[in-house]
Amino acid sequence: MSQLSLKRLEKSFNDSKIIKGIDLEVSEGEFVVFVGPSGCGKSTLLRMIAGLEDVTEGEISISGKVVNDLPPVERGIAMVFQSYALYPHMTVYENIAFPLRVEKLAKAEVEARVQAAAKVLQLEPRLQHRPGQLSGGQRQRVAIGRAIVRQPKIFLFDEPLSNLDAALRSEMRIELMELHKRLGSTMIYVTHDQVEAMTMADKIVVLDAGVISQVGSPLELYHRPDNLFVAGFIGSPRMNFINGTVTASDGVTITIDLGTLGTLALPRTTKIGAGQSVTVGIRPEHLKLGAGDFTLSITPRIIEHLGIHTVLYANLPAGENFIGLFEGAPAVEEAAPVEIGFALDQVHLFDQAGLAVY
Amino acid sequence: MTSSRSAITFALLLLAPALIYILAIVAYPLVDTIILSFTNAALRPTYDFVGWANYQKIFGAGNFTEIIIRTLVWTFFSVSLKMIIGMYGAVLLNSAIPGQTVFRILTMPPWIVPMAIGIYMWAWMYNGNFGMISGLLQNFGLVDGPVAFLAYGDTAFWATIVTDVWIGVPMVTIYFLAAMQSISKDLYEAAWTDGAGRFYRWRRITLPLMLPAIVTMSLLSLIATFNSFDIIYILTNGGPSGSTTTMIIDTYKTAMGSRN
Repeated sequence: MSQLSLKRLEKSFNDSKIIKGIDLEVSEGEFVVFVGPSGCGKSTLLRMIAGLEDVTEGEISISGKVVNDLPPVERGIAMVFQSYALYPHMTVYENIAFPLRVEKLAKAEVEARVQAAAKVLQLEPRLQHRPGQLSGGQRQRVAIGRAIVRQPKIFLFDEPLSNLDAALRSEMRIELMELHKRLGSTMIYVTHDQVEAMTMADKIVVLDAGVISQVGSPLELYHRPDNLFVAGFIGSPRMNFINGTVTASDGVTITIDLGTLGTLALPRTTKIGAGQSVTVGIRPEHLKLGAGDFTLSITPRIIEHLGIHTVLYANLPAGENFIGLFEGAPAVEEAAPVEIGFALDQVHLFDQAGLAVY
Repeated sequence: MTSSRSAITFALLLLAPALIYILAIVAYPLVDTIILSFTNAALRPTYDFVGWANYQKIFGAGNFTEIIIRTLVWTFFSVSLKMIIGMYGAVLLNSAIPGQTVFRILTMPPWIVPMAIGIYMWAWMYNGNFGMISGLLQNFGLVDGPVAFLAYGDTAFWATIVTDVWIGVPMVTIYFLAAMQSISKDLYEAAWTDGAGRFYRWRRITLPLMLPAIVTMSLLSLIATFNSFDIIYILTNGGPSGSTTTMIIDTYKTAMGSRN
């Protein structure tokens, strides 16, 4: 049975619709990541599940029970806020114990649960400190501790790592994944960072302007994006897009005119009418130097040497940005044209409406 | 050695403007006042030192202790009421209600209206013959005849406190409201997610985080109320028979020679 179920969920603020009909099923123990650009409604959706925002239309069920009208505390959820929302005047101990004090649990029980959470999060030496004396990562852990002691069915995380620096962020990412393994609870995690989504999620929900663009495992989204938005959002550096026009389509091959870049014949069983404009997508990491089923010449504008990788930034004749990612340190120079190619089975094709064509 | 000495000189130079300012407007008048209190200075150009004579005269006046106690009681009730009502008002104004801005503006008049006008308005309301309060009480049958609030010691004492509170509450409310608004909304949402009710959130989050503001406001209000002059002076002039005479009123009367 799914633990969380959203049915035709909608949310409006005044007259503007922020969430436009969302259906989603989350199974017990799943780590689900809501990802999307700012303003796509991912935080609003999380706050609706938490009970911090009213539902305009539709239904939220947790463990089979509709919770639309229940206050947060009765939904069996615990939330970790982006700002951590720690009480600055209370010690770490009191911060973690806060939900238990509200519940009026016995002193011994409070002590046991706080100590257990502190142990899991390695906060034992910090229990008597105040949030102001802690580092960003420690504050983050206190906020998680406050969620853990409530033993919720579902953990909700609202961009919990966005206030941390890059090094700490990847460290905390691993800590959170380990925590998920240890607790086995359902976790819903909101982020705008697709790297966080790709590395942490069992299931990614890509949101775009209040609707779900695609739901799937990280690799599903990477290899088979449903549309241009997901293709462009998942993967770093971003997928390259080349505009073209269909010249022929016979149910076996689609022939696409790419202007000065030449003609590309892609194996596709779907037919597309001649004359329709389409978008061809190829990931920067799928490009090879000087080889491939299809080759083109680019002139690198900027080259980034990362040691393990080299990234080329160039422009196509029509002006589109084009990025190439190559292993190691190949012999390329800025402003010197270079021949690159790719295999046809790694090319993505999107029709006029931006939907993937397979 | 040299560098630390020059650092001190530099620090003193930086402090100098503020120091000179404080010495000129605080320290000098204070010291001069203390010196004058040991003299028989009046509005004449010369004076002589008289030792403790002035102090003996004040403490020997008989009603001095009474006035000090009255001033403290008056101040205590006035400040406490201002703090309690101000806090309550701030909580109400901070809640998400429609027309919030209108209500916030409506709290301001007692503070904006020129003080003398506000006080005279209260003097009229307290009047026994044509005052609104006495009239209302009679209409509701709560009193038999007209009540002239300012004509009796007990009622006059509380009437002056009520007026002082009325004038003082808006500033406290606005100050508390500002302090309340500086508390992050996330803290309340986190507490609410954990099941904390309205009062619990106020007691465990709002109150402790507002403590610095409460202490500051209490101190400011204490000083202002302790030295509150115009309200009592206009409403009762310290009367009837000294029942609203606080230290500042007594000082004024003594200095202006209406007594002694």
